[in-house]
Amino acid sequence: MTPIRLYLSNDSSSRAAGAEQLADAWRDRSEIQLIHTSSRGAFFLEPMVERDTPGGREAWFNVRPNDLPRIVAGVGGTKVAEIPFLQQQTRFTFANFGITEPLALDEYQSRGGFKGLAVAQSLSPEAIVDALRLSGLRGRGGAAFPVWKKWQVAQQTESEQKYVVANADEGDAGTYSDRMMMEGDPFRLIEGMMICARAIGATRGYLYCRYEYPAAAWAMQFAIQKAREADLFDCDDYPFDLEVVIGAGSYVCGEETALLESLEGRRGVVLAKPPYPAVSGLYGKPTIVSNVLTFATLPNILAQGGAWHASLGTEGSRGTMALQIGGRVKQPGLVEVPFGLTLRDVLDRFGGGMAPGARLKAVQVGGPLGSLFPESQLDIPICYDAFAGAGAILGHGGIVVYDAETDMVDLARHFMAFTADESCGKCTPCRVGSVRGREILERIQSGQGTSEDLMLLSDLGETMKSASLCALGGRAPYPVLTAIEHFPEEFRLKAKG
Amino acid sequence: MTTGHNSTLADVLERCRPVPPASPNILKTLLAVQSALGHIPMSGILQIAQVLGVTDAQVAGVLSYYSDLRTQPTGRHLIRACMGESCMANHSARVLRAIQDYLCPAAGDASQAERFTVDTMSCAGNCAMSPTVMIDEHLCGRVTPSDVPSLLEAQVLRRKTEGGRPKAED
Ligand SMILES: Cc1cc2nc3c(=O)[nH]c(=O)nc-3n(C[C@H](O)[C@H](O)[C@H](O)COP(=O)(O)O)c2cc1C
Ligand code: FES
Repeated sequence: MTPIRLYLSNDSSSRAAGAEQLADAWRDRSEIQLIHTSSRGAFFLEPMVERDTPGGREAWFNVRPNDLPRIVAGVGGTKVAEIPFLQQQTRFTFANFGITEPLALDEYQSRGGFKGLAVAQSLSPEAIVDALRLSGLRGRGGAAFPVWKKWQVAQQTESEQKYVVANADEGDAGTYSDRMMMEGDPFRLIEGMMICARAIGATRGYLYCRYEYPAAAWAMQFAIQKAREADLFDCDDYPFDLEVVIGAGSYVCGEETALLESLEGRRGVVLAKPPYPAVSGLYGKPTIVSNVLTFATLPNILAQGGAWHASLGTEGSRGTMALQIGGRVKQPGLVEVPFGLTLRDVLDRFGGGMAPGARLKAVQVGGPLGSLFPESQLDIPICYDAFAGAGAILGHGGIVVYDAETDMVDLARHFMAFTADESCGKCTPCRVGSVRGREILERIQSGQGTSEDLMLLSDLGETMKSASLCALGGRAPYPVLTAIEHFPEEFRLKAKG
Repeated sequence: MTTGHNSTLADVLERCRPVPPASPNILKTLLAVQSALGHIPMSGILQIAQVLGVTDAQVAGVLSYYSDLRTQPTGRHLIRACMGESCMANHSARVLRAIQDYLCPAAGDASQAERFTVDTMSCAGNCAMSPTVMIDEHLCGRVTPSDVPSLLEAQVLRRKTEGGRPKAED
């Protein structure tokens, strides 16, 4: 009898959920063959096991080792196409997730992989930039800058050496889409970086991966080696090569100039711009630093055209966004949808409400520098303009939901302490401001604070916002000040007098 | 995690010696030292600087800048509780307290300090499985305070039997 093929995710979070335990327990079972795929991102259902049926894949959720007989008998499965969390998504960048084996180059190619690069190779560098302009793609790392503008500068700057660098520092707590991409579809990132290299004339690429992602770094190294052996890097007139470099635990190293300093082996401090990296970056050469997901979006744009990409999403926010839902929700996971749904929609439809017994207090979007939203302000559409209008950021798409037990003063103190720890020290507003901010919040938390302290915090926040060198100091006051704005009674109660 | 560090600083540095025209990369070298020795001894700074052809102040500057570079040996097991926002929202502070309570019954117990180092981290990218605890390289998710004792014992015991030299003292 031929063994039944069972699909199990090899993603780090799936393994943490129990997939590793299943693989161990079932290793010697001859009636099955385990295929290790990427994860669909519905982590609340993990470990999830799938098998083929005439009507498409069926899945079993939250599987334990002794569920195997049920799965082999085909009893109690759910059609993957009918899982609401997945059914309501629009998967383009994450289209292969849960389906392919991440390190199988032939599977990537058989599902359209490297078509985008082939199109790019048939175009002039200027035409590639035009396609990007038409697509309306903005960077996914946080600053949301139009991708084509950066590329045009790097393309037009004369130099015998140029670089392309993938920012895989993924420092925002609450985000994991870059990690999933590197572990789950590494060839897509490689293809995207090669498209960029072709457009600007770079021959060398680096991937700066955070220390906390050993599995992602390993998968990328393996995929790069495979691509090299398959001669994929030897395209037409110039050779290309790619190297993975590991960081060492500094949030500010996600900022592009600090990242390049770190790549050269120095302290990762932020540099004043200009010059922009596109003009003078790594070793003083024109360099494009982009987020992992920005690169991973490129293959589809080239293969399907800029107009296709521009037809998705909203006026100023084209395409799809990978949102990562975390915190105290029932259904945490990765959600790829076109821009434009409201935050409430996303939480209701995908987040599935609060974890059992929890009540919603606040939602933070955009990582540790993102603003807090109370329940009454969740109707904001997920797009860059609406968030900018509200003084908020989408950042890298992290959404963290806090429950009623959260102490807002302590949370605000945590944010300021984070900035004080992570400040690179280059500019005074951030270096000194964050320490003062933390001290004030510690005073309030210990019951020693006064209402004057709250005013002081607000003044300090304004200075940090306007005078910091980068967004670490510039955005750090937002989560603190929005906490005070929306939950003033908690602060007042502690800061009497 | 800190077993099997048999190479010497000189061995590692020999492998990291920059070959012109490549410029010396301090961070990469320090990471290589840490991965070979488990930590970066302060006493090695001068030697590292000499091999790289940079000043010892430059090496010390990079060493003090990055939080993942360690100048002290860790216990045989490194246990990190995530304090990132998704884990915080899932009350990871309670998990951290449970770890500390379980491992440090008597503060200053030297045999425990040799065995375990407890630390925090800012995000492991495991936020959909919050709260997260990392035991050495092993990622654990949905950790509740009451899971902590069995989790720690299971991971430590598992490591004992898995590959490598068995470590009776664990
Ligand atoms: C403090 C700070 C941390 C940052 N961290 C990251 C990060 O982890 N990943 C990332 O892609 N961009 C990060 N950025 C944004 C980068 O500076 C840069 O804008 C981005 O990598 C450009 O890529 P994109 O155009 O694809 O977004 C950070 C910025 C700041 C100020
Ligand atoms: S916030 Fe803890 S793993 Fe991301």
